Amino acid sequence: MAKVKQQTEQTFLQDLLDFQGSLNGKSEFLDEVRLKGAEEVRNTPFPTKKLEDWKFISLRDLYRDSYELASNLEVDFPDFSEHFLPESKESRLVFINGSFSAEHSSTKALPEEVVIGNIANLAAEGNEQLKEHLHKHADFEDDVFTSFNSAFLEDGAFIYVPKDVTVEAPVHLLFIQTDADKNYFTTSRTVVVADEDSEITLVEDHIGLGDNKYFNLPVVELNLEDRSFVKHTKIQRDSFEAIHIARTAASVAQHANYESYTITRGAKLSRNEPRIFQMDEEVEFTVDGLVLIDGDQVSDTHSVMDHRFSHAESHQLHKCVINGKAHSVFNGKIYVQKDAQKIDSFQENRNLLLSRKGLVNTKPQLEIFADDVVCTHGATVGQLEEDELFYLKSRGLDEQQARELLIYAFALETIENITVDSVQELLVDEVHRYTERQLDSELTV
Amino acid sequence: MSESEALESMVGGEYKYGFTTDVEYEDFPTGINEEIIREISRRKDEPEWVTEFRLEAFEKWKEMEEPDWPNVEYDRPDFDNIQYYSSTKKKDGKKKPESLDDVDPEILETYEKLGIPLEEQKQLQGIAVDAVFDSESIFTTFKEKLAEAGVIFCSISEAIQDHPELVKQYMGSVVPKGDNFYAALNSAVFSDGSFVYVPEDTVCPMELSTYFRINNMQSGQFERTLIICEDNSQVSYLEGCTAPMYQENQLHAAVVELVALEDAEIKYSTIQNWYSGDEEGNGGIFNFVTKRGHCRGDNSKISWTQVETGSAITWKYPSVILQGDNSTGEFYSVAVTNQRQQADTGTKMIHVGKNTKSTIISKGISAGESNNSYRGLVKISPRADGAQNYSVCDSMLIGQTCGAHTFPYIESANPTAKVEHEASTSRVGEEQIFYLQQRGMDEDDAISMIVNGFAKEVLQKLPMEFAVEADKLLGIKLEGSVG
Repeated sequence: MAKVKQQTEQTFLQDLLDFQGSLNGKSEFLDEVRLKGAEEVRNTPFPTKKLEDWKFISLRDLYRDSYELASNLEVDFPDFSEHFLPESKESRLVFINGSFSAEHSSTKALPEEVVIGNIANLAAEGNEQLKEHLHKHADFEDDVFTSFNSAFLEDGAFIYVPKDVTVEAPVHLLFIQTDADKNYFTTSRTVVVADEDSEITLVEDHIGLGDNKYFNLPVVELNLEDRSFVKHTKIQRDSFEAIHIARTAASVAQHANYESYTITRGAKLSRNEPRIFQMDEEVEFTVDGLVLIDGDQVSDTHSVMDHRFSHAESHQLHKCVINGKAHSVFNGKIYVQKDAQKIDSFQENRNLLLSRKGLVNTKPQLEIFADDVVCTHGATVGQLEEDELFYLKSRGLDEQQARELLIYAFALETIENITVDSVQELLVDEVHRYTERQLDSELTV
Repeated sequence: MSESEALESMVGGEYKYGFTTDVEYEDFPTGINEEIIREISRRKDEPEWVTEFRLEAFEKWKEMEEPDWPNVEYDRPDFDNIQYYSSTKKKDGKKKPESLDDVDPEILETYEKLGIPLEEQKQLQGIAVDAVFDSESIFTTFKEKLAEAGVIFCSISEAIQDHPELVKQYMGSVVPKGDNFYAALNSAVFSDGSFVYVPEDTVCPMELSTYFRINNMQSGQFERTLIICEDNSQVSYLEGCTAPMYQENQLHAAVVELVALEDAEIKYSTIQNWYSGDEEGNGGIFNFVTKRGHCRGDNSKISWTQVETGSAITWKYPSVILQGDNSTGEFYSVAVTNQRQQADTGTKMIHVGKNTKSTIISKGISAGESNNSYRGLVKISPRADGAQNYSVCDSMLIGQTCGAHTFPYIESANPTAKVEHEASTSRVGEEQIFYLQQRGMDEDDAISMIVNGFAKEVLQKLPMEFAVEADKLLGIKLEGSVG
C-alpha cells in the first residue's frame, strides 16, 4: 500500500510559506513586513493541545489539508449585493478572497480628511499614515498565526480618522469568500486609527458564499487615541467548512471608548482572540460576543482585557447557544496590573446547551494585582427552563414557538446594543434562522 | 493609623507554633532510591504487597515531571536531600508505644503546647486524636471507646498490620499510585497518617482528628490518610498541622483518600497552619497535597472544609468524584496568604452520576506581597443528567502589592445540567468601615468584623468542637498586634 504523505502540524504553516515569493516587489514596505513575518513563522512552534491556550480544541481540521494562496486562484462568484448594508451604500470596502474589489466599494460618504482605502494601493502610493500605523498595534507576541498573517500581508482595509472628525455613516468592511474547487487560505489585515476626539462605527463582515473549505485568518489592529470612540461589530458567517482564526487588538488611550460585538455563526472551526490594552487612565471598553453553533462546529473565544492604568470600566458579556455536536470554548482573561486602581470590570459567560452531544468549556479568569478594584465574573451553563416553557405554553404558544422565543430572547441581549439598525435586523434574522434550524432538524435531542 | 496600616498589622500576626522539640532521631539516610524505599518498608515491618505498592509508585514517579502549571514560583525541592523517613528513638526498642508512658515526654509536651493534650485526664472531650510527629503516629486517643461502636481509628501503619484486607482494597483506589508527581512520590515513601473505617449503619460517636507536626529539619512529611464510610454511616474528621520555623523549605506531600458508600457521609475539615516562612520568604513548608473523595454509593455525601493560613507554597485541590446517583460534594474554603506566601488552591467536582450536586464556596484573602489563586474544575459528564453545581469564589485584597487570581474551569457535556459560577474581587470597602465606625466601633474592630464576615460562610461549616480552634488560628493571622 502506498504511503499517503501526512501533513504534519509542525511544518504546516512553514510549507505554505512557499507561496510567499509571488507577492514581493510591489511595495518595499510590505515586503519587509512579510519577510519578518515569515521569519517569525519559521521560529515559532505551531500550537498544540499541550499549551494551556489551545487545550480544548484540535487544529487537525486545519493542518490535515493543503491550501492554495487565495490570490493565485481565479475567482468566480454570484451577485452578493444582498449583503450590502443600506446605511453603508457609500462607505463600504469589499474584499473578495482577500483582494480589494474597487468595483463593489465606495467611500464617497466619508469626510474628505479621512484616509480610507485598501492596504495594497495605499502602500504602493507610499502613504505615510499607513507606514506609521500598519503592524504597530497587533501585539500578539509569539503567536504564529499573527506572524503568518504578516507573512502574507497583501491587502486589507486601512482607515485613519483625523482629530475631531466624526464619521457618521457606518463603515462596512465586507470580506467575501467565494466557492472554489481548491482549498485556499486568505489573510486580510485591517488597521483602524481613530485620532483624538474622533468617532467611527465599523461593521466587519465575513461571508462565505459557498460550502467549501478555506482558511480565513484576519488580523485587525485598532488604535484609539485620546477621547476617541470606536464601535466595532464583527459578524462571522464563513462557510460551514471553513476555518476562521482571527485576532483583534485594540489599544485604548485616555478617555477613549472601544465597544465591540462579535457574532459567530459560521465556520467549522473558529477562534476569536480579542485583546484590549489600556494605554492610559480613564478608559472604557466593551467586548461582548454571541456564538450560535450547531452540527459539528467548534467555536473558541480567548479574550484578554488588560487593565494597566487606573480608572477603567470594562464589560464583557459572552453568550453561546450550542446544539448538535457543537463545542464551545470560552477563556476570558481579565488582568488588573499593579497600581491600576479603581478598575470596575464585569465579565459573564452564559451558555445555553441544547443537545446531548454538545460540549461547553468555559474558563473566566481574573488576575488582579491591585486592591482598590471591583472585578466580577460569572459563568453559567444551562438549558431552557421548564417553567418558562410552561408559562409560554399556557399563554397559547406551542412547544416550538416557546423554544424559539426563549432562545431568541437569550441571544438578543448581546445584539440589542448594536447601533446600526440594519445590522441588528440581519442579526435578528440570523438568530431566527438558527433557532428554526434547530427545531426543524433532528439535532434537538 | 491609616486604614491600610491597620489592615496590614492585622494580618501580620506572629507564628506561635514555630518552636522545635529536642528529641533523638533514629538514623536514616537522605535521598530516594529503591533501597531507601525498601528500608522504609523494613523499618515499618510492612507486608510484601505494601513494599510492591511503594516500588511501583516509585517507578512511575521517576518517569514523571514536576508540574509547572500552578500559579506559584519556587525553587524545586532537591529530592536527594530530603530525609524520607524520620522516627524518634523509642524506649526499650518498642516499635509503637502501648501507652502514654512509652511516649517521649518531650513530645507529649509539644502537643500540650500546641493545645492538644494527650494525657488521659486532660484529653479533649468528645474528640479522638491521632498525633502524628514527623513520620510516625505517636498516639491515638479514645481508641477503645471507638472500637465499641465498631469504628476503627488508628494510624495507617497499624491498619496495614491489623486490617490489611481493608487497606489493600481501598488504598490507591481513589488516588492511584501514578496520579500526579507528588501523589506518586507519596505512594512511594508515605510514612504515617490516619486510617478510619466506619461500619454500616454507624454514626461515629465522636469527632476524629489528626494533628500533624513536622519537627525534624531535614525530613519531609508524607502522610497518607484513608477514610472509608460503609453504607449509611457518618463521620466527621479534622486535621490540623504546624511546623517549626526553619530557614530551609520543607516538603509536605500528603495523599488523602475518602470513600463514601451508599448513603454515607464524610465531613473532612482541615485547619492548615504550617510555618509560612519569614517576611523575606525564606523557609516555610511546601504544601503539595492530593486530596480526593469518591462518592461511590448513591445518596452519599462528601464535604471538604478548609482553613488555609500557613505554608510558603500551597498546591492543593480537594476534589470529589460524584459517581453515585444523587450524591453531593461540597467544598468550603478560606485561604489567607500574607507576606510572600503563594497559594494555588481550589477544588474539582467531577459529576458522573445522575442528579449529583456540588457546591463550592471559596474565599481568598491576600495581603502583604502574597499571591492567592483559586483554581477549580467543574466537570459534567454526558451521563450526569440533572447535575447541578453552584460556585462562588470571592477574593479580598489587602494592600497594593498582593495578587488575587481566579481560574475556574467548567466543562459541561450534558444539556440537563446546570452550572453556575460567580466570582468577585474587591477590597474592604471604605463605606463599610465608615458605617461600623459611626456605630461606635474602632477601625480595627470594624475591619476585623468585615473580614470575619467575609469568611463566615465557610467558618460556620467547621464542626463545633473545632470552630474555636479555627477562630484562634484565623485570629493569629488576621488580628495579631495592632499598635
